[in-house]
Amino acid sequence: MKVNARFRDMLLWILIAVTLGLAASASLLLFLGKNPIAAYGLLAASVIRDRYTFADIFVKATPLMLTGLAFAFTYKANLYNIGAQGQFYIGAIVATAMSLFLGARLPGPLSLPIVFVATIAAGGLWGSFVGFAKARFKSNEFLISMMSTYVALAAMNYLLRTALIETKHEYPQTNPFTPGLWLPILVNGTRLHAGFILAVLIALLVWLLLFRTPLGYRIRAVGYNADAARLAGIDSGRISIATFFIAGTLAAAAGFTETNGVQHMLVQGFNPNIGAEGIGIAILANANPVGIIFASILIGALKVGGAIMGQRSGIPASIIDIMEGFVMVFVILSSFVRSGLETRRAKRILRSRTK
Amino acid sequence: MINLLSRALMMMTPLLFGSIAEVFAERAGVMITAIEGIFILGALGGFVGAYVSGSLGIGIVLAVLAGMALAAFYGWITVYLKQHQVVTGVAINILAAGLSSFFMRVFFGVPVAPLTVEPLRAIPLPFLSRIPLLGPILFTQNILTYCVYAIVPLSWFILYRTSIGLTIRSTGENPEAVDVAGISVERIRFSMVVIAGAMGGVAGAFYSIGYLGMFTTSIIGGRGWIAFAICFLGNWNPLGALAGTVVFGIAEAIAISMQSSGTLTIPNELFIALPYVLTIVLTIARRSFNVPGKLGVPYKKEN
Repeated sequence: MKVNARFRDMLLWILIAVTLGLAASASLLLFLGKNPIAAYGLLAASVIRDRYTFADIFVKATPLMLTGLAFAFTYKANLYNIGAQGQFYIGAIVATAMSLFLGARLPGPLSLPIVFVATIAAGGLWGSFVGFAKARFKSNEFLISMMSTYVALAAMNYLLRTALIETKHEYPQTNPFTPGLWLPILVNGTRLHAGFILAVLIALLVWLLLFRTPLGYRIRAVGYNADAARLAGIDSGRISIATFFIAGTLAAAAGFTETNGVQHMLVQGFNPNIGAEGIGIAILANANPVGIIFASILIGALKVGGAIMGQRSGIPASIIDIMEGFVMVFVILSSFVRSGLETRRAKRILRSRTK
Repeated sequence: MINLLSRALMMMTPLLFGSIAEVFAERAGVMITAIEGIFILGALGGFVGAYVSGSLGIGIVLAVLAGMALAAFYGWITVYLKQHQVVTGVAINILAAGLSSFFMRVFFGVPVAPLTVEPLRAIPLPFLSRIPLLGPILFTQNILTYCVYAIVPLSWFILYRTSIGLTIRSTGENPEAVDVAGISVERIRFSMVVIAGAMGGVAGAFYSIGYLGMFTTSIIGGRGWIAFAICFLGNWNPLGALAGTVVFGIAEAIAISMQSSGTLTIPNELFIALPYVLTIVLTIARRSFNVPGKLGVPYKKEN
């Protein structure tokens, strides 16, 4: 009963926060002399304008879901993975290199799984380095994961200039993959690809792992109370390596769905904010893997709607960032209000019992 | 060579402003993870002020105000409402990036050619600039770089040789003691965040009006985070921050000159990545980190 009330409160406050965030962004439109209500009407209308646009919401949600999970996963162990952006790039590089290599050599249905496994293995290794540094040297995982992103970015830029550059040698991008390596399209006439289903399945798996397995229990125990976990014989070093490995695989999987599902090639500097947006989504969902599915669809809708709104009514695309930012800020503020309400409720229950 | 070093020193200026700002805030116990956003709004404020008024000074004032405003917002959420610092910073950075390009549009519409201002000029100091070798490097810089010469020793002095500095450091180390002494932990932390915001704003303005003379949305491109990293690397000490900044400044200057010279024997990405790799290596190698004891932990009075 108590848990239910808490859950209801959380949903209610997140809803209020999202509304306030969107209202705050809308009020900025007045500076441009635009009617915010008309603009949001257009936003709502444009995302359901046609099948293609509507399906694009889920296309955009796919990588966000995975980088959101990549932050939420270590967060459960009270560790900060700020390096999802880099893990995403590593995933994209490996997925691309493998796809280009296997494209001419193996039939698609055979090579796609190989590409996927290689990608998440590479991302996992890249990520687990952060966990290892934390476990072995007690290094600050926040800082190392953040710096690792820039190293991954430099590596990607270098490879796109040299080994992976297109045959024409014109732009810093690769040749397109052979269609056999494209993730299958789910709905004809749209860009919606199988990666979305993959991402949802992964989110559910992460939920199972966290809440229904011994490893997940240990991860949450470390996050909840590291000292108690240590006394209970949980090796927090091993947990930190494991969580960062898994976080790395999650973010790298986003690289795979983007290169093989959407771009069908690797382009320099694509999706430069996917890591930060993932963190935002994890916040929005209170780091709950199932919540992340819905939060990323919401942000996906804002992205798609915001972009169309920009094309049709001259509102700059930066409104998307503003909406995302305000929604996140209000979610954070709402969690302050919520914890205050919760304390009050607990006190009231306590008082009624002592009477 | 002289050119390279002179440019390195110039690139170091904003990083020093930013990292020393971060040192003060973190010594008081607050990580300013919104620093990237503060840089961006500083860059915007600086450009808008300078472009509209025609005076770079007004640009810098506006940059300071913009940085302070965003920092105050961040400080309010993290210090007073005690919300999570990493998470709040990420949200504010995304918001700041959006706001900066949005307000460029509000102020200037969609210009045909990129808008520019004349960037800060190098002022050769009398006599000093004529010293061979050192003169052109150290004493032919712009005004913000000269400010940094004063800020480094001054901030070290404040932090380690004054009672204010002691209070700041205690706030990050042992806030209970500060509280018992009748000083408000929250007020100290909040003011440090706002002061850091002012310095971060100047750092941001350096990129727009001190160097490029224009504003683009990607103008900061992670430099705020570099300042953040330098603070860690420099062991939360202004002199350490200076050492860390030298490494980043030189690497950036080399990368830029390699890019412009065009003769690439070593990939310039190596130089771009080098400071980050170095930060990782040093973070791992340094055992005696002097992390402020209560860094990132909101202060909650027990009652």
